[in-house]
Amino acid sequence: MGEILLQAEKVCKSFGITKAVDNVTLTFDKGEIHGLIGENGSGKSTFVSMLCGIHPIDSGRFLLNGAELHVKNQVDANNKGVSIIVQEMGTLSGLTVAENIFLGRESRFVRFGVKNTAAMNREAANLLEKYGFGQINGTAMIDNYNFEDRKLIEIVKATYFSPQIVVVDETTTALSQNGREELYKHMKRIRDEGNTVIFISHDLSEVIDFTDRISVLRDGRYIDTVSSDAVSEDDLKRLMVGREIAGKYYRTDYGRLVSSDRVLTVKEVSVPGQIREISFDLHRGEILGFGGLSECGMHEVGKAIFGASYDRKGAVTLPDGTKIESIPGAIRHSIAYASKDRDNESLVVYDTIRDNIILPSINNLAERKILKRKRLDTFAAAHAQMISVKMTGIEQFVSNLSGGNKQKVVLARWIGKDSDIIVLDSPTRGIDVKVKADIYALMGELKEKGKSIIMISEEIQELLGMCDRIIIMKNGAINGEFHRDERLNEEDLIAKMV
Amino acid sequence: MTEKIKELTYGNVLMGRLRELKGVLGNSGLRDFFPLLGLLIIVAVFAAMTDMRIIEAKSINLILSQVYVLMIASTGVFLVMTVGGLDFSQGSILGISSIVISYLSFYSIPLALAAGVFAGASIGAFNGLFHVRFKIPSFIVTICTMYLFRGLCAYMTTDAPVAAVTSITGLNLTWLKITLTAAVLLLVYIIFTFTKLGVCLKAIGAGETAARFSGVRTNLTKFLVFVSAGALTGFAAFLNVVKVGSITATAGNQLETQILIALVLGGLPISGGAKVRFSNIVIGALVYCILNNGLVMLGLDTAVQQLIKGAIFLIVVALTIDKKSLHIIK
Repeated sequence: MGEILLQAEKVCKSFGITKAVDNVTLTFDKGEIHGLIGENGSGKSTFVSMLCGIHPIDSGRFLLNGAELHVKNQVDANNKGVSIIVQEMGTLSGLTVAENIFLGRESRFVRFGVKNTAAMNREAANLLEKYGFGQINGTAMIDNYNFEDRKLIEIVKATYFSPQIVVVDETTTALSQNGREELYKHMKRIRDEGNTVIFISHDLSEVIDFTDRISVLRDGRYIDTVSSDAVSEDDLKRLMVGREIAGKYYRTDYGRLVSSDRVLTVKEVSVPGQIREISFDLHRGEILGFGGLSECGMHEVGKAIFGASYDRKGAVTLPDGTKIESIPGAIRHSIAYASKDRDNESLVVYDTIRDNIILPSINNLAERKILKRKRLDTFAAAHAQMISVKMTGIEQFVSNLSGGNKQKVVLARWIGKDSDIIVLDSPTRGIDVKVKADIYALMGELKEKGKSIIMISEEIQELLGMCDRIIIMKNGAINGEFHRDERLNEEDLIAKMV
Repeated sequence: MTEKIKELTYGNVLMGRLRELKGVLGNSGLRDFFPLLGLLIIVAVFAAMTDMRIIEAKSINLILSQVYVLMIASTGVFLVMTVGGLDFSQGSILGISSIVISYLSFYSIPLALAAGVFAGASIGAFNGLFHVRFKIPSFIVTICTMYLFRGLCAYMTTDAPVAAVTSITGLNLTWLKITLTAAVLLLVYIIFTFTKLGVCLKAIGAGETAARFSGVRTNLTKFLVFVSAGALTGFAAFLNVVKVGSITATAGNQLETQILIALVLGGLPISGGAKVRFSNIVIGALVYCILNNGLVMLGLDTAVQQLIKGAIFLIVVALTIDKKSLHIIK
């Protein structure tokens, strides 16, 4: 054990009556990369956001080198030696690269009230060179760079002043392999300089590979700290979830015949610039997968079926000849759609769980056009509880829920509608193992009930594990079709994607 | 990202205090009761400052006589603001509808009323069409219509005020005005609370795209909301004509800002959405009228009155605004 750099003592934070962080006591050593893991909603991000002054602490305290650390905001945190690379975009549009790097610390270039831009740009160029990001020009507008380069710039911004603690909050999901390598390299450099990295990630294998120790949070509480050399992914999963997870949470049945009853026919559907001449049938009780690279058009297929595409050509037809042309039409004919863009398209996040669950079913819930509050409440509560949404009550705003719980609300509303055809776009995106397993189990149940599911996913494993049939798309068109088979593997699908 | 800008720009202590106060307001769950509390406080303050004159029957009558038009017109704007829009055209609608009603009152009073409502609804439809079809933010569209119809109003009253039939002022009866106002409020209350429209309006205000993906016909609903707002103000114009008898170029002047201030004082979140309450209308209109009369009774200069109203409005907005949802004002 090294020398202690940072101590958290009984740190608490509540949002409403949800305890996001509950009495967490934890120590970080000087010169280590310390992994922080937990499911969605376990309190990792809330914990570090208190450390960095994004949220105030309810009770408890942080001690840095034995002295109480009290930060008012992020700039203040930086001055005291704590910095963070955030999950989302952390750079500001409309400023140059150099201005972004020195945001909030411009005063060091100011002489007699005038900012010396040339000096700032020179300094930025030196830093970028030193970090090995010579391809980035410090005087260029940040908007000229893609997401990945902007993340690299954030690395510079967060670490150039040699902070004692650097928090890396789920940054790697946004990065390609190259970008990740760069990040790992700099994490190691920071550690070797005697400072500390707090590394948050959902990718357990990278956590084990690149950290020295790992701490686990569950439901806002501290569970354990383990040495990275001595644990396996399964050990970590067990700590995160608190129970044994069966190695396989996908379907295990093979060779079962799918009904030949058609429930939906898609014929020559095109959306300009997105998809071309897509035709397929969906059968009763079938889970049909759509895979491909993220820009292949598969996400638009889901929208097109749901009547949500602008300017769609071709026909989406039910067996009785009804054509689906609009969202209200799709919902009336028992089609459900869970978008990849959960916060904007799937859920009205600044509204209550109740209203979100009842919204698609609202016509069925009215008696002679009149809605009774009690009936709505019962309906919403019953469906939220059925798939165990973790909430304080149906009056809670969806914006306060974690990603996994939001997705559960999405599913609750469509199960409440008793939809027969369910289009799920990236249903497990950004969701932890436990909720993932719940969602797969639910899909299995729906299939048994004779519901048909279209699952659009960028995760090849989940397509192989869950689908009766997989359609692979490339450049907006269908490029291959596979039936469920144990022998089918990732390479088969990838060969059709690229 | 916005977090960061906030941290950098709001360095000073005053803003910090304001935010703390906001936190208390927002988290205590008492938010719903603050408008009512505000109403009681404002009555108490003016009662004390005017030696109880403000709660004499005479003053109450005067306050009530100003409340009807404001309350009915606010009901329409309440619906617009619930879906996340703003409507600045109410004053000009009141003017145009009042002129229409005055002209037609010589033929038949019911016909005049119907035509007034129709004229209001037409201007509302004009607003709705431009907002929905051409995707222009509603506050821009309605500021344009405000100038457009204010101009028309001035043109039609250039030579002389437009007088209604003299017998119409015989309808200026307190019980009739109270009944009509109550009827309008009750109707909108029932629709807002017990039909799917209420849920849909709030959902549009809270997140339009998600509402559309949940099966709400967002464009049609928004269009109809603007039509209703126009129609309601058209109806309010009838009570206006009954009260004043003849219409000058200033009819309905500043009604739109009065409505906005009233609704915000009543606790309506300026960005609409799921946190709106029907009571915002009633409490807001009362608070505004009491404030207005109280300031007059104190004998303050008109300019000072405006200054005070502006300051109160700004403080209430600053205390209640939810920055996270501000971007959805349409």
